Amino acid sequence: MPGKRLGRWAAAVPMAALALATIYPLVFTTNVAMKTRREYILDRFSPASSLQVDNISAAWNSVGMARYFANSVIVVAFSVLLLLLFGSMAGFALSQLRFRGSKVLFLGCLAALLIPFQVIMVPLARVMADTGLIDTYPGLILAYVAQFLPFTIFLMTSHYRTIPAEIVHAARIDGNTTYGVYRRIMIPLGAPALLSVGILDTLFCWNDVLISLVMMPSAEHRTLMVGVTSLRGQYSDDIPTFASGVLIAAIPVLLLYLFLQRQIADGVTAGSTKG
Amino acid sequence: MAPAVLIIVVLRLWPLLLGVNFSFTGDGDRNGTAVGFDNYVELLSDPLFRTALGNVGLLVVLLPVAVAIPGLLATFIYLRVPGNRVYRSVYFFPAVLSPVIVGAIFNLILAFDGPLNTLLGTIGLGPVDWLGDPGVAMFTVVGVHIWATFGMALVVFLAGFSTLDSALLDAARVDGASLPQTIWHVIIPGLSRTIQFVFVTTMIGMLTSMFGLLYVMTAGGPEGSTYLPEFYIWTQQGQMNRPALASAASTVLFLIMLVVGLAQMSVLRRAGRED
Repeated sequence: MPGKRLGRWAAAVPMAALALATIYPLVFTTNVAMKTRREYILDRFSPASSLQVDNISAAWNSVGMARYFANSVIVVAFSVLLLLLFGSMAGFALSQLRFRGSKVLFLGCLAALLIPFQVIMVPLARVMADTGLIDTYPGLILAYVAQFLPFTIFLMTSHYRTIPAEIVHAARIDGNTTYGVYRRIMIPLGAPALLSVGILDTLFCWNDVLISLVMMPSAEHRTLMVGVTSLRGQYSDDIPTFASGVLIAAIPVLLLYLFLQRQIADGVTAGSTKG
Repeated sequence: MAPAVLIIVVLRLWPLLLGVNFSFTGDGDRNGTAVGFDNYVELLSDPLFRTALGNVGLLVVLLPVAVAIPGLLATFIYLRVPGNRVYRSVYFFPAVLSPVIVGAIFNLILAFDGPLNTLLGTIGLGPVDWLGDPGVAMFTVVGVHIWATFGMALVVFLAGFSTLDSALLDAARVDGASLPQTIWHVIIPGLSRTIQFVFVTTMIGMLTSMFGLLYVMTAGGPEGSTYLPEFYIWTQQGQMNRPALASAASTVLFLIMLVVGLAQMSVLRRAGRED
């Protein structure tokens, strides 16, 4: 069918153009980050004369990007660990243990899933201020856990529902306590889902700006994304350094994407097919 | 299970009630006293908040576009346009970037003498003041948001396609149906659940995850034309020190989200029944 093949190629052209439009902004930014200020002012489009990373090291050292980076790593690591711990425990309980009110709890989780941060931001900030948790690492970690826990529980519950109840029964007969079942069965069998959800939670926390902005007002506690926004004012006349700061913040996520694309896509679609 | 329940109840559901309650109290001198609907009256007379609501209306109007683009692209990829595997990974990649990063990158791309205007210039158009013209800026920000998120919806659509009965598509092909006919009579009815899911998640995404873009790209300007409720809440809380007014705006945003969610579901359910 030559006509059919032609039609497919006709669709391929705009799709290729769109793919280019998807990639180009990042390529442009990377190129700008490699330029000297002089090169940028003279011609921002030409390829950078050399693969120099001066701007990147400048952004890293002088602007406090290193500090922001460390803040982000600390907060995201603890948040994701707690999310996976609480999420898998709750998912196990909701999917495999029958107890009074488990349905109500699951619905409560779903309801919480629909509450965006913006809606509870004001009272949450007040609660955090009253308890002295505002502008502290534990405060922000707690805010992230609270924000992304319903989603984590939802995905873990739907994953654990696919584990046959017989396996749990068998483990019980072998003398395992509830905790034993959780540790010996649920954690190993849940590993693929934990990985998938863990990556998504990492992305959510790493990429967040609003929660961090509200919960961590002081400059030395800025996470990386808030730090990037502050670069703009500081470096409005030094675009290459600004672009370098943007790249520093984007690189971890891009690496994650390159190596774990499958798991990310799995996590995104799990909500749509199982929901 | 217990820690998860505790966190969700204390840090998600409780603040929601706290916030609604808070929205009926005063700010500043009238701190803590009940003021009835004063905050809501003030909200509705505030031109900035009206703009924010108007922009929500604009988002609703643009929603079908934001859903149709990934839907159509997914259709092409499913029908095996040459190179379809590559497109999937390329299109998805902006979805992992933080709105802050995306916004910063597009600040460079959309600059008055930036790449986009240069490109338009070579074909004799423009230049357009993408972020400085009050009539254009909101469309620009929504466009960037769609650029950043259509990959997410695309992946969800592709997951939906994998559940579609391919015998139906073969039958359509044998009957000589054109592409638009196939989309209208086979793909849309077959994917109604997926489409419904994408509609709701895209709308929620537009209402709750554009803060980073607004914060970096326009800060609500020019002339307050790019305000959205979430940005309004943040300004009143963080800049204007009007937490009670911000709470009232939060409550309005929550109601909008409930209405949008319910309306879309019922509309799509009715459409599904007619087929």
